[in-house]
Amino acid sequence: MDNPENRLHNNEGFVRASDLELGYRSGSETQRVASGVSFSLFRKELTCLMGPNGVGKSTLLKAIMHQHPPLKGEVWLGNSLASHLSEKERAKRVAVVLTEKIPTGLLTVRDLVALGRIPHTGWWGQLSPVDQAKINEVMALTSISQLAHKNVAALSDGQRQTALIARALAQDSPIMVLDEPTAHLDLSNRFEIMYLLRDLARKASKAILVVTHDLEVALETADKLWLMAARQPLLSGSPEDLMISGGIQRLVPGEKWRVDAITGKIIRNTAPLPCRIEGPEPLVSWVKNALRKNPELTLPDSILLSEKPFAIRVTFSQHQQVFDSISEMIRFLQDQLKPENFFLK
Amino acid sequence: MIFTIFKSWMNKYQSQRLLIVLLLCVILWLVNLSLGSVQIPLKSLLGRIVGNPFPHSSWEIILMEYRLPKSLTVLLAGIALSLSGLQMQTFFRNPLAGPYVLGISSGAGLGVALLTMAGTAFGWQILDNPGNSWSLVGAASAGAMGVLVLMGLAAWKVKDSMTLLIVGLMFGSATSSVITLLAYFSAAEELKLFTIWSMGNLGNTGWSDLGFLAGALVLGLIPALVAMKSYNAMLLGETYAVSMGINFQKLRWSMILSTGILTGSITAFCGPIAFIGIAVPHLARLLFRTQSHSVLFPATAGVGVLILLACDTISQLPGMATSLPINAVTTAFGAPLIIWMIMKRSFSEEF
Repeated sequence: MDNPENRLHNNEGFVRASDLELGYRSGSETQRVASGVSFSLFRKELTCLMGPNGVGKSTLLKAIMHQHPPLKGEVWLGNSLASHLSEKERAKRVAVVLTEKIPTGLLTVRDLVALGRIPHTGWWGQLSPVDQAKINEVMALTSISQLAHKNVAALSDGQRQTALIARALAQDSPIMVLDEPTAHLDLSNRFEIMYLLRDLARKASKAILVVTHDLEVALETADKLWLMAARQPLLSGSPEDLMISGGIQRLVPGEKWRVDAITGKIIRNTAPLPCRIEGPEPLVSWVKNALRKNPELTLPDSILLSEKPFAIRVTFSQHQQVFDSISEMIRFLQDQLKPENFFLK
Repeated sequence: MIFTIFKSWMNKYQSQRLLIVLLLCVILWLVNLSLGSVQIPLKSLLGRIVGNPFPHSSWEIILMEYRLPKSLTVLLAGIALSLSGLQMQTFFRNPLAGPYVLGISSGAGLGVALLTMAGTAFGWQILDNPGNSWSLVGAASAGAMGVLVLMGLAAWKVKDSMTLLIVGLMFGSATSSVITLLAYFSAAEELKLFTIWSMGNLGNTGWSDLGFLAGALVLGLIPALVAMKSYNAMLLGETYAVSMGINFQKLRWSMILSTGILTGSITAFCGPIAFIGIAVPHLARLLFRTQSHSVLFPATAGVGVLILLACDTISQLPGMATSLPINAVTTAFGAPLIIWMIMKRSFSEEF
């Protein structure tokens, strides 16, 4: 009944483990990073692994890659245990994109992608027509075919990351694990890469796990979030459910910060502003944003905002003042502080 | 069928270049055989290959007993040293790695130093005639193998490749200090014997030695060829290589075994030959514009033979009775060449 072949049901993840203990062994010393880690990673889904630094995210990735096997427990890759597979069989199941800088000299994009075929080629690494077809296919899928003969060194960061994803795809493994693929990328490329991964999960039926610190992008693109926090079990769920249940607050331990329940932005916990601000919606929230950043200011009694033309009417007990930009208002409020501060010092 | 396999192996540009390199090797080989203190005209040389005897019987002796075995030694040494260098550079991901970074030349040097100089330093007399070439070979091989065994033990204990590189360099420094001590206490004549050995000599190998060297070359090439795919995977670094199913420990042992046999045997017979092992892989990369080891293996071997043949031809000082030590030539002509290539192209970027 407990035959591993029968264990793969629809509601069971393709990669799964229960009660793992993660850490390093160096000589006789063991350093435990996390314990009680259980998870299920599903095919056709993009999962983002998030959590503060040092909580064991990379160690979890290495446990799935079997480069640092868990101290206790086993990881299932499909219907076999990671530890029972040979290096080559493991490479056919898990492909990775790492943070480490790759040496780029003299390597064309096609050469780089072709390296992904290594677990499939024979002794000498000669590419068969099947390998060539697979390389062409993944380059088309990631739309980098036109870069094929360009040197990797000449690529932009976004293109290089895409080429590395194409290399991992060429490995033709059902599982893909990526360590911070969007770090160092500009705003639009961060979304491009994550949407590409989401697309690949669907089209190529892959189980994709991405470590990221980019909450905004993860909320926008991920099917599942895995949240890791110190001394707590791994929490998994859809980003929307985690926002509603408040589980997402684990990302910002302590009292100082919180994730805003509406925008999903991380903001500082501050008391509500003791000042009446009225006007159309986007304007109000940006004025509040500016005032929150400058908590030392003495606030006016009320602020009235109007659109077209943009104007800020600030009312103090004695007088009124009108500004046409937020920075002008902030500068005025700062000037109000000056004489006082001068005498205090 | 064969053509498609070849096409997937290297492109047109690379196969053309390889053909040119091989052609130059043949031409330079003939020039190498013809030049020297006694010049044998190319015409008679070509005639001899077809089967016409030489007009002078002394030419026959010069060619068969001296120049031919020497040029074949150059062929073997060029291939062995440059391929060792290529493996080391890829394995350690370090452009400055060469066949001697694991301390093999220092080990061989220590063996020879003990043989030639320990007599006066310690009052030992290991052999009656330390200048005998077979005892030199024996001492050098014993030293090289000793260091290789030590490196093997270190590799077994140490898992990180950068640490292994540092351990190798430290072995080298430690043995050098012993050699310095021996040199300090030794007599002038013995010191000269050792110094001359350390300058390298390609002309000391007879036909029987050549058979041994060729066997060692084949033996040392087997692990390298088997690991060719793994070396390609190593281009992206160790973690990626392992994620692509490469058994890193196996690759490490194959690298130590292959470079140990290749450089150890050459160093035992010819002394430490400088420059070839570090520089030739870079030249091959620049000439063939690739990082793929299926191209780089034949390319590096070809360029290695070409460069060492050229250096050996120069060292014979055509028309003069003496010849220069090979290391003086490889370094004097090789270093400026490499500097020029580095200045011309961004070299570390292309590694």
